[in-house]
Amino acid sequence: MEKNDKDPDHDDKSKGDEKGDVVSDAHPSDDAHHQDGISNENVDVVGNAETDHQDPGDNNVDKVSQGEEAPEIRQTLESLSEELDQFLPTLSLHMEEHKDSTEEKGEDGYFQIPQFVGKFLDLFEEKLSKYDSGEPKTVWYQDPEEVSSLLEAVDRVSKLMGLLLNTKSCLDHHESLINHAGSIQQRAMAFLEDEFRIILEESVTKESVVVTDDSNSQRRSTADQQDHQNDVVVSQDHDQMLVPECGDQEIEYPGYPEDVVVVLRKIAEKMKAGGYGWECREVYLVGRRNILMRTLKQDCEFEKVSIDEVQKMSWDTLEREIPIWNKTFKDCSSLFFPGELKLAERIFPGDEGNLFCIVTHGLAIQFLGFAEAVAMTRRSTEKLFKILDIYETLRDSFPAMEELFPEELRSELRNEVTSARSRLGETAIHIFCDLEHSIKSDSSKTPVPGGAVHPLTRYTMNYLKYSCEYKDTLEQVFKSHSKMEREEEEPVESGNSAFASQLMRIMELLDGNLETKSKQYKDIPLSCIFMMNNGRYIVQKIKGSAEIHEVMGDTWCRRRSSELRNYHKNYQRETWGKLLGFLGHEGLMHNGKIVKPNLKERFKSFNATFDEIHKTQTTWVVNDEQLQSELRVSITAVMIPAYRAFMARFGQYLDPGRQTEKYVKYQPEDIEDLIDQLFEGNTSSSSTATARRRT
Amino acid sequence: MRPAQDNQGSFLGRISIRRNQFVDVNNEQEQEDLELFQKHIADRFTELLSPPQPPPSDEINTVASVAATEQIMSVTWLRKLMDVFLCCEAEFKAILLMGRDPTQISKPPFDRLVPEMLDRSIKALDICTAVVNGIDSVRHYQRLAEIAVTALEQRPLGDGNVRRAKRALANLVVALSLEDKENVSGGGGGGGGGNKTTERSWSFGRRSGGSSAASKGGATIGQLKSSSWAVGRNWSAAKQIHAMTANLTPPRGNEAAGLPQPMFIMSTVMVFVMWVLTAAVPCQERSGLANHLPVPPKHLNWAQSLIGIHEKIGDEWKKKEKKGSAGLMEEMTRMEKLGHSLMEFADGFHYPAEKDAAESAAVQVAEMAEICRRMEEELVPLQQQIREVFHRIVRSRAEILEVLEQAGKVSAPVV
Repeated sequence: MEKNDKDPDHDDKSKGDEKGDVVSDAHPSDDAHHQDGISNENVDVVGNAETDHQDPGDNNVDKVSQGEEAPEIRQTLESLSEELDQFLPTLSLHMEEHKDSTEEKGEDGYFQIPQFVGKFLDLFEEKLSKYDSGEPKTVWYQDPEEVSSLLEAVDRVSKLMGLLLNTKSCLDHHESLINHAGSIQQRAMAFLEDEFRIILEESVTKESVVVTDDSNSQRRSTADQQDHQNDVVVSQDHDQMLVPECGDQEIEYPGYPEDVVVVLRKIAEKMKAGGYGWECREVYLVGRRNILMRTLKQDCEFEKVSIDEVQKMSWDTLEREIPIWNKTFKDCSSLFFPGELKLAERIFPGDEGNLFCIVTHGLAIQFLGFAEAVAMTRRSTEKLFKILDIYETLRDSFPAMEELFPEELRSELRNEVTSARSRLGETAIHIFCDLEHSIKSDSSKTPVPGGAVHPLTRYTMNYLKYSCEYKDTLEQVFKSHSKMEREEEEPVESGNSAFASQLMRIMELLDGNLETKSKQYKDIPLSCIFMMNNGRYIVQKIKGSAEIHEVMGDTWCRRRSSELRNYHKNYQRETWGKLLGFLGHEGLMHNGKIVKPNLKERFKSFNATFDEIHKTQTTWVVNDEQLQSELRVSITAVMIPAYRAFMARFGQYLDPGRQTEKYVKYQPEDIEDLIDQLFEGNTSSSSTATARRRT
Repeated sequence: MRPAQDNQGSFLGRISIRRNQFVDVNNEQEQEDLELFQKHIADRFTELLSPPQPPPSDEINTVASVAATEQIMSVTWLRKLMDVFLCCEAEFKAILLMGRDPTQISKPPFDRLVPEMLDRSIKALDICTAVVNGIDSVRHYQRLAEIAVTALEQRPLGDGNVRRAKRALANLVVALSLEDKENVSGGGGGGGGGNKTTERSWSFGRRSGGSSAASKGGATIGQLKSSSWAVGRNWSAAKQIHAMTANLTPPRGNEAAGLPQPMFIMSTVMVFVMWVLTAAVPCQERSGLANHLPVPPKHLNWAQSLIGIHEKIGDEWKKKEKKGSAGLMEEMTRMEKLGHSLMEFADGFHYPAEKDAAESAAVQVAEMAEICRRMEEELVPLQQQIREVFHRIVRSRAEILEVLEQAGKVSAPVV
């Protein structure tokens, strides 16, 4: 080992070549780098171009030094570190003194490098070799003493390299030492790089506990500050500022323990200070992208899907994918992406925007591609609600995500989101157009038995009910994404939103279709029942939903109720008006005397007609209990008083006994009971086998 | 970009103004438009086929550098290709939709041709996504190369710098070859195998992560998992291109004189452009890609230049497949060669540097630096152009579907 120490001096003797300008990475700019991969090298040019030739006197100095080392003293990395810390300011001062000089005095320019520098490097190299051989049993980063010791040693080597490379006399006379120091620096940086990757990858999957000795850290920081107080060029160690504040908010993702983040940051700092920051960044970028994808898969069940695959998916499959996408996007916006940005900020302060973008931007683009893909699938009315879910996620979650990105990428992402939302919005609007078309073109020929609620009505109203649960979103969709042509074709009524107008168009189409279908019933009263059933169902659905009620408005509901009353009147007139005709007085009295045959005929006609009505209309369906009750009450209110009055006036003319039994088939109570049997959908006493239906 | 924008503005403006005029296009005018369209296609691809000729050897470096940047498959050239595609697409859409009765493109043979074209559009969108992801990988390679450049530019050149460069170059070479291995093994399973291999080398290199790992070529920075740059499970760029070529046959007889002709041309151009992109940039699963592009018949005048470009790229592709390397992008090709060469220099390096070897290496380092600088300037703009192509395809598809609906179709055609 002693002989090795002498080699640098011997090499120096043989080197007389003149050196040109030197470019050094020792002091990369601390400014944030917003461009990928640009090497922002700090160029320090030593102005003195003259060659410093050695004279015989130098040899004498070396010999004297060698003599001084005759008594061997046991040296450690720690003791040599202290000596080196004292030496570096001297070297720095020397560099400054000769930085701008244009003349080089031979003897003054030469700078003697003490032997302990080489010794320090040898011991450090020895330490690194032990690490490489896996000698320490514990994981390196979990030993705070080892972490601090190594990082400080790396720091000293980097400072030494920086000074040597920027001092012309050292370049001229100490090339061998520079090579040795550079070699050790590289080995140390490679070690740190590997440890950085290991910590980044492993710490996130298993919780590790690092005991932080705050007092020790304080002591070291103080010592460092004192030792470096004379450094003019080399930036001071700010370990003290790295001690986490008690009030620091603990982030949920990515979930590295606080002390692990501190270690990562220190490694990044030392690597950057030594000019090896690019390696550290690249390890970070690869590691974080892999971890982020794995996390999304584990936590959200997220898997990337191609657009082609989305087009081919069955609705069942896509219906399961969309909620996964929604959750993933929301979690990325609220948790994963902010977590990535914060982590980057804490490990690479000042450069976090750049790193964050590389980790997340491609993923964000593909997220939006999925939204576009869904909008491009074959349309069907059942897809509306999932499409609106995606639309809402983009509307509600993207702003928070957007703010994480720098402006140039932000505008690009905003354009992507605008495009995706436009496609989704247009698709939603087209789905309503398709609904209009299917309502208009529903042309089933078979009337619904019993005049019950038509499936078209049931489907449409349920659909609108669910739609109106997205009322605010649909208002926005119709306002923002309607094509100009539509607005021109159908001017929006003043006071109505575009979505409300759409709903009213659908209702009008439904009414029109139902009116057409009602004409399929030959029995006009039945067509009225049909219209009442459907109209009632519609009104009940609207009143039962706050959202849809709000969209349609009270005016529309009142108009609806008015129309229902008209159908009610028509029904009564067409059915019971006729029956009431038999209870009139005309033709029954002549010259104050009863015309018995006519009276008998009246009773017979009434009975037969009532029987027929009862038989028929018990099979008709009115499922709505209130409507059913209203119908019965209104029929009863008209029929019973009239029948009772008729009986009171003319019943007496029939002979008690046989005639009464023959012609007076019903008492008023009987008729009332029978009216209460109407609209049950009861087919037990009917020749038709229609199943009884209830809502 | 400017020509594309001009064309886009004028064509789209005309489309929107005359969208609702359901008047049959005058037959003579249509013939003239169709012939003009073919001429424009031929002209644009002729320009792409014949970049500025390399200057004589005694010319200054600046001219040589300019010529090199515009070689086929360079980033600059790929960007021009994107512009050409956008111009062709805008012109085609004007022919297809402008002033035309919607029912015309819903009758035979368009009831078959249009859905096929829309299906190709869907597949093209996925390829755009794959290529954008692939360019992210290329940027990663660029950053690795940048580290090597930084190390080897250091003076004086010492053992540490050379080992640093070798380590970065090893990562670069492994990244390039690993991508192809995953591709060759095929499918998700193969990809998984590739990843497992990578992880094993990581484990192996955990404690010998210094120079020994670099000398063994072990990946130390780590490899992007396929999940980071994949488009979807079991997605394959080669299969997509192959599917896009299905039913891609020239119209015959009466059809050759009408609208089916520009539809065939546009479909061919789209497939070709997508094929070029997947050849240039590392993409998910590209094995067999070289065989998946039937060339249009040579008797078609408009296709001459396109065929010429295809032949040049195909030749280069066949050479590359034997070597098993990634991507035909000109810059990546040169980067790979330089990487291997500089690795040899690093392996043979002994301090102090031998003058001749150091000077030779310095020339290569300068070339690598130039490549990195150009990639730095143009890769992101290329990604942006591809995103623009993506959105153009999406919009055009939506417009065509809307026209079909106006033609009275109850539901969208099966795509």
